[in-house]
Amino acid sequence: MALLEMRGIAKRFGGVEALKGVDFTLEAKEVHALVGENGAGKSTLMKVLSGALIPDSGVILLEGRPLRLHSVAEAQREGIVMVYQELNLVPDLTVAENLALGRLPPLVSYQRLHAEGRALLAQMGLRIETERPVRSLSPGEQQLVAVARAFAQQAKVMIFDEPTATLAASEAEQLFQLIRRLRGENVGVVYISHRLEEIFALADRVTVLRDGMRVATAPLSELTAERVVTLMVGREVRTFQRAPQGKSDVLGEFEVAAPRLVPLNLRLRRSEIVGFAGVVGSGRSEALEAMFGLRGTARWKGQLVTNPRQGLHRRLFLVPADRKTQGLVLELTARENVVLSVLRRLQRLGVIERRRERRMVAEWFRRLSVRPPDPDRPARTFSGGNQQKLVLAKGLATNPLVLLLEEPTRGVDVATRFELYTLLNELAKEGLGLVVSSSDTEELAGLCDRVLIFRGGKVVAELEAPVRREEVVALVTGALQVA
Amino acid sequence: MSPVRYRWREWLSRYGIALALVALVVALSLLSPTFLATTNLINVLRQISVNALLAFGMTTVILAGGIDLSVGSVLAFSGALAAGFSVAEWPPALAMIAALVVGALLGLFNGVFVGYARLAPFIATLGGLTIFRGATLVYTDGRPITGLPDAFDELGNGVALGLPIPVWVMLAFLALTYFLLRYTALGRAIYAVGGNEEAARLSGIPIVSVKLFTYGYSGLAAALGGLVLSGRLNSAQPTAGSGFELDAIAAAVVGGASLSGGRGGVIGSFLGAAIIGVLNNGMNLLNVSAFYQQIVKGAVILGALLIDRLVAARRE
Repeated sequence: MALLEMRGIAKRFGGVEALKGVDFTLEAKEVHALVGENGAGKSTLMKVLSGALIPDSGVILLEGRPLRLHSVAEAQREGIVMVYQELNLVPDLTVAENLALGRLPPLVSYQRLHAEGRALLAQMGLRIETERPVRSLSPGEQQLVAVARAFAQQAKVMIFDEPTATLAASEAEQLFQLIRRLRGENVGVVYISHRLEEIFALADRVTVLRDGMRVATAPLSELTAERVVTLMVGREVRTFQRAPQGKSDVLGEFEVAAPRLVPLNLRLRRSEIVGFAGVVGSGRSEALEAMFGLRGTARWKGQLVTNPRQGLHRRLFLVPADRKTQGLVLELTARENVVLSVLRRLQRLGVIERRRERRMVAEWFRRLSVRPPDPDRPARTFSGGNQQKLVLAKGLATNPLVLLLEEPTRGVDVATRFELYTLLNELAKEGLGLVVSSSDTEELAGLCDRVLIFRGGKVVAELEAPVRREEVVALVTGALQVA
Repeated sequence: MSPVRYRWREWLSRYGIALALVALVVALSLLSPTFLATTNLINVLRQISVNALLAFGMTTVILAGGIDLSVGSVLAFSGALAAGFSVAEWPPALAMIAALVVGALLGLFNGVFVGYARLAPFIATLGGLTIFRGATLVYTDGRPITGLPDAFDELGNGVALGLPIPVWVMLAFLALTYFLLRYTALGRAIYAVGGNEEAARLSGIPIVSVKLFTYGYSGLAAALGGLVLSGRLNSAQPTAGSGFELDAIAAAVVGGASLSGGRGGVIGSFLGAAIIGVLNNGMNLLNVSAFYQQIVKGAVILGALLIDRLVAARRE
């Protein structure tokens, strides 16, 4: 009997079928890798398992017993634990106290507490002093402590979602050893990662998801990295394809510097769309933000860009990844958001010229066909795709030379996504330079004239159009090594 | 969400305060025959004028995501300064202008700690509250300053076109603040900074300058309140205005300003101050004991916040 069995799990978000009846089994003493491209359904499936999402249909059996999970707490009581980036440790308490958290007796004997903590860490093969406050540990060590605590709480199933994204190499190795030890202690481990070399080093079996369906489950000994990539990508379907471009004149050159990024030079041509590909922590987002002076610095055509104001001054604009927290002021109206970066130009003696403002906003609403076409509604009442159009309109209103876009279509429905691609293509034709950082390989392959592959904080390869998705996936996941 | 329901809710959140004020006025006029008398209503306006002035400044700070606990002390210091200068034979107008400038500077002092040093606004302005109160006590030697020129009496107790001068001052500052927030680029930036600082930064808005301005403006408003109060009392009291910061915050919050920033407006704050003032006045007319008045006032503040929270929660 399998430790855990999920049968026919289905979940729909509005019009999107995130999971279309997925089966998944996990044995005790097994590390089971879960792979797939962004949006394939990995995280949704694991949220169902950890109680964070309730499926529309399907059953979960733990040791043959059906489970009805309505919350994360319930799942944890059953011994199913997800190790998040947010670790739920109390930073100011010691390691020993954190390990015993929730199980502390009313009167604490610190001697016993530390003795038990040391015993637990020794069992897990960890060398961390129990007297240290968690705040003083590195992120990697904190994660190890969180895992040890979950083990102490009798976890039967542990789920890791991209656990190495923020870890140094040596810390990652420690984590792998810990996971192998958990396997030896009868725990079933689900391991989600985009880094294929980790999966081949660690996992016993792999399940590949694509478009909300399971396409394969097999022991890793029977698979090659190339085969896994092929399974992830499927056949080439392209919703949008930009026509090949001739070489145009150079628009300018970026020199980019950011923490955890090998300095990068990028020469951008007029009408060119450059893609940044890479997994979380690969440096692609860091590079893009630094080009706008955010959490890093850049030179554009030799001129310094150390903050967003300077970036705007040099006629650059960043469309950030998160519309709600970075892109828009949700309480303000759509109109007020669209002109937020050009207030200086719309004012006379400090007073906003209403008529010019309305004319400008109406023009961008028409050009981007924002729906509903009512600029006086608060930005928060627009759909995800239309919110993204508002951010774009705000950027375009500044009359930029270069548009930097981070995950431009994340959470955008298919129809609007196509519209956005068409728009970006048109903007490039008008002479703008575009840089698109994305985890969506279809987007990169369909839109970009060339794609830079980021891994471990540096550009490891550059692909020219026509770009094949398989090649991008193989390079970012490490299935294809570059000399 | 259907457009009709969306508009209904927007309408309610915009005009709910005005409705509450009207309901309160109707109820009080039924309960007390003297309440609706013109002299009484004018009296209410005069009573709320100082609190309303502080609330207008406070509103700009709150809209930008901050809070200003120092306004009561700034009021006292500016009032004392204007009085002191006048007693020292400065022309009254010059003394008053100097006091306003100093009030704005004290606000900027707070703003520097919030904007550049990134201290929590609550802490930075708590420091301001204590320091400025101490400075007032030092300057006045702990004694009231009396013997002010007639200009102060005129400012505090004069009447023009049938309305007390303090009411005119309040209405003028209301108009100024309304214009600032609604029609200027700076006002737009204030809303943006409070609504989403990260988005504002990425849009190129100079966050620190905007915050500095709001604290300076709040200091100016407090100084203006200090002048009016000295005028009404015909003296500058070293302990004037203590606790006023909480009334000003209450007015803004009852008027619909969100303490997390980005939502609210100066008209709302005016109505909030009016609700509190009408409530005080009505309870006085009905001979409610001052002890119970405090309980009612607190309940009104909590009620206003609860309603606001419910409307906001339904909107999600």
